[in-house]
Amino acid sequence: MQTLDGKIPGGPLAEKWDRHKMDMKLINPANRRQFSVIVVGTGLAGAAASASLAEMGYNVKTFCIQDSPRRAHSIAAQGGINAAKNYANDGDSIWRLFVDTVKGGDFRAREANVYRLAQVSNNIIDQCVAQGVPFAREYGGLLANRSFGGAQVSRTFYARGQTGQQLLLGAYGALSRQIAAGQVQMFSRHEMMDLVVSGDRARGIIARNLVNGELEAHAADAVILATGGYSNVFYLSTNAISCNVSAIWQAYKKGAYFANPCFTQIHPTSLPHVSGHQTKLTLMSESLRNDGRVWVPKNAEDKRPANDISENERDYFLEEKYPSFGNLVPRDVASRNAKQQCDAGKGVGPTGRAVYLDFTQAIKRDGKAVIARKYGNLFDMYRNIIDDDPYETPMMIYPAAHFTMGGLWVDYNLMSNISGLFVLGEANFSDHGANRLGASALMQGLADGYFVIPYTLAGYLGDAGKSEIGEDQAAFKDSIQFAQSRIEKLLAINGKRTVEDIHRQLGRVMEDHVGLARDEAGLKTAIQRIQEIRAEFWENVKVAGPANRYRLNLQKAGRLIDFLDLGELMAIDALNRKESCGGHLRTEAESEEGEAIRDDENFCHVSAWGYQGEEAQPALFVEPLAFENVKLTQRSYK
Amino acid sequence: MNGYITFLFSSSIGKKLLMAVTGLCLIGFLAMHLLGNTMAYAGATAFNDYAKKLHSLEPYFTVFNIGLLTIGLVHILIGVILFFENLRARPRKYEVFKNPGGMTFGSRTMPYTGILILIFVIMHLLKFTFVDKSVIPIYQQMAATFANPGWVLMYVVAMVIVAFHISHGFWSLFQTFGINHPRYTPLIMRLGLVVTLVIGIGFGILPVYLLIIA
Amino acid sequence: MSEHETINITLKVWRQNGPEDSGRFETIPVADVDTHSSFLEMLDFLNEKLILEDKEPIEFDNDCREGICGTCGIMVNGIPHGHGKGMTVCQLHMREFDDGDTIVVEPFRARAYKVIQDLMVDRSPLEKIIQAGGYISVNTGGAPDGNAVPVAQEKSEEAMDAAACIGCGACVASCPNASAMLFVSAKVSQFALLPQGRAEANTRVLSMLQEMDACGFGNCTNHRVCEAACPKEVSITHIARFNREFLKASLFGRMPMGE
Repeated sequence: MQTLDGKIPGGPLAEKWDRHKMDMKLINPANRRQFSVIVVGTGLAGAAASASLAEMGYNVKTFCIQDSPRRAHSIAAQGGINAAKNYANDGDSIWRLFVDTVKGGDFRAREANVYRLAQVSNNIIDQCVAQGVPFAREYGGLLANRSFGGAQVSRTFYARGQTGQQLLLGAYGALSRQIAAGQVQMFSRHEMMDLVVSGDRARGIIARNLVNGELEAHAADAVILATGGYSNVFYLSTNAISCNVSAIWQAYKKGAYFANPCFTQIHPTSLPHVSGHQTKLTLMSESLRNDGRVWVPKNAEDKRPANDISENERDYFLEEKYPSFGNLVPRDVASRNAKQQCDAGKGVGPTGRAVYLDFTQAIKRDGKAVIARKYGNLFDMYRNIIDDDPYETPMMIYPAAHFTMGGLWVDYNLMSNISGLFVLGEANFSDHGANRLGASALMQGLADGYFVIPYTLAGYLGDAGKSEIGEDQAAFKDSIQFAQSRIEKLLAINGKRTVEDIHRQLGRVMEDHVGLARDEAGLKTAIQRIQEIRAEFWENVKVAGPANRYRLNLQKAGRLIDFLDLGELMAIDALNRKESCGGHLRTEAESEEGEAIRDDENFCHVSAWGYQGEEAQPALFVEPLAFENVKLTQRSYK
Repeated sequence: MNGYITFLFSSSIGKKLLMAVTGLCLIGFLAMHLLGNTMAYAGATAFNDYAKKLHSLEPYFTVFNIGLLTIGLVHILIGVILFFENLRARPRKYEVFKNPGGMTFGSRTMPYTGILILIFVIMHLLKFTFVDKSVIPIYQQMAATFANPGWVLMYVVAMVIVAFHISHGFWSLFQTFGINHPRYTPLIMRLGLVVTLVIGIGFGILPVYLLIIA
Repeated sequence: MSEHETINITLKVWRQNGPEDSGRFETIPVADVDTHSSFLEMLDFLNEKLILEDKEPIEFDNDCREGICGTCGIMVNGIPHGHGKGMTVCQLHMREFDDGDTIVVEPFRARAYKVIQDLMVDRSPLEKIIQAGGYISVNTGGAPDGNAVPVAQEKSEEAMDAAACIGCGACVASCPNASAMLFVSAKVSQFALLPQGRAEANTRVLSMLQEMDACGFGNCTNHRVCEAACPKEVSITHIARFNREFLKASLFGRMPMGE
């Protein structure tokens, strides 16, 4: 088993980033215009990177799958963004944000990366305010903070329930400004089909124009993937329909390592399953847990409406089990406990796969107006989808796949093991370990895009120089050929099942065996089932063409191929990690109280998988994790 | 300076502002006209004297008329431009289109009520302005016209049309000037209704009155 | 929560193969629609059937399916996003319809929006307007502390009301004149309200207006339909502010194209 070097700079933790910035090469402003960079994805990380690099003078080509860069799924993040400003004067600091994030990630993230994240978190807030992001403010005109998702300090900045939207629009504005300046060439409705690698360096990408189906080659001196997470492998998730793994999966197949694929986050406060035709689960901000109380009936057979169940017949299981954190325990703990209650038959709602989130007490305490101001939009959303009034009857919630901590392996510079290939945001594995804290995804995306890549890219290009491989070279032609043949193959199958149908089947397998709780037998079943589904796909899928028109089902078919492969890798990774940590719960490593038990002796590392070919088992590489600043402790939220 | 002026007046908001300014002037003119009309209730002599007096106020009278004509022409010209530009902005119409709220009969019919008002104004001018008043004074001409119920009906209908035009135009011009505030807009809306009714009824009632006393 | 039911409906839906095709309406009966499914899930359900019947699926823009990304947008029975107040079409549910209903589904129509395929339109002119000035020109790095400039809460809240715009373009689709004033005003207003945005308020309003006019949108005549059709209920008070900002900028500001 080979080990990987994260290239963590030396020196004391607090000085690593500053020293590293001093050590890295610079490229002077006049020379930057000699270099071209491709950015795939326009979420927080991608838009921030595109804008920042273009402002510096690089020639940027930016690609997004949506009709506009403003629509990337970062837009759906509701709750907020963390920063160690300590505006609330409640004892927060960079150090504390760092410690909380490392602990929250259950000691499976790199200390140095997390510390840097906490360091730049404050710059992010300043940057966004300057961009005109309308953060919530106090009456005196200063920025408001709230406590969020398990934090014991108020460090979360927010813009109503639309923080992601506002931050993304800020980055989108900056990107738009560079498009107008001609510094960014924007390719909307373009999907990345392949990464072009030659001589162990990323040389560019093949992109498909989704409107007319044409395949285009784009060469650059560096490629940045900021393509988000892969929760849609579960079919039903809180991700947008177009979220997919394909961009990073093609990179994986070209030799980039895929780290910790099994680390997925299941968000506790999603709307429950209501219909067989459901295509997605809608997330509600977990800020709801600040005022809502989670409960199920004490009696498993109790099927009465919520309001008929008296106070002493209710089991407020989170408050009972975790007196100091109560309803604000981290996401994985909340999700797992909710599932345990449902598995014990105490679930509520038509499918029995939901628990109540009750605002009665908060409404009594603060008044309906205050609650409406805080959560009005979420309550409206709930009422619209579920057809029930949360001001009157408790909400029903259920965990849903939401965020993937795993992703392409990157070093401290956010560069993958393929030189010139950088991976930012949710698409990389770097900062959240085995579990992400609430309001940290936005922080990471923007940190990577605004404040890390501008330095590390220069460091790389300063050393590596220009790529000098044009779009007419064989490497590009081969990749176009690959993408073309894949499309032709898909259209030729002409079977009897739709892409959606097969994806739903994959989703069920993933949810049952690679979801909230995993065990050896289940994971082995999953691997076998996925292989069967894959065989079924290649024999029996029916994809509507023609390829020269906008055809969503053709796009989805391509993405499903990669999801099938990824699902298997997730199961392999989960099987290999015989410990529980963060969002990864192996039932074999679970205390009697249902707590995750880590195995630091054997698994205090990053598992990174390397592609070995279509039929071959992937190779495992390991990056050991050293905890020199935060003591390895078993998480406890009691 | 040239580009500056062209841009201001050719931009969509610039045109809207011109529409609003001229519209406001026209409403102002209507208010004066309405005030003048009240002289008719004082009888033939008073009204004829008033008319004569007004026409003798030279050069103000001519300057005023030229100004009014210019304002009217600008209002019409911009209105026509807006109508055709807006028509062009959606070349293919919807198979089904519903008003989700907001649109009123007045707002929907602005260009059409505008044209009808223009036709009416031309006719009105031919009838009472560009006529020889040396033999039969204006009051007597008016009384003779409105002794005919057909003319009365036509004038009343015209005033209903003017009222609809103003019902949208009045609050709309405030919006165009940028005056829209949750506290004051309801007041403006109410004031708009009052203006609409005063102008509509105020003008409409004179022909009816003349018909009755005839 | 109501019981599960299924209804049978008939769709009269616009089909168009690419921007050059002239397009036509097609009438398609859809049986056994789950009333708990959303409008777009109903279209998915239909598309699966069409694909299996060797017919071309109906293409429509959609993505987040929770009303925030602004990708979806179609005319349902003559109203953008359907008749639901304050929601996008992905949030419209089939329980809003009755068994036997005929539903007319059309793309957003405006000269500035070209139909790409079936119900999908190209809303890139909205992008161009933002590129003309829908931002505050600050480079990454060097921003002062977030609390350096206090912003009155009411201003910040009002800016947020405007910033809630999701850029779906329903305002254009609903406007009898196909005007984009509500969309543009939301951005102008957001930045006009914040001290951070004042620095370039004059050039912003003039450049964005110039671009808006150049894109071929119609003129605002204050019908107020946009406000009623807006899934985020952005108010026309922002249009009033846009008008005001224009007046201010045109009287005292520098013209974007020079004088």
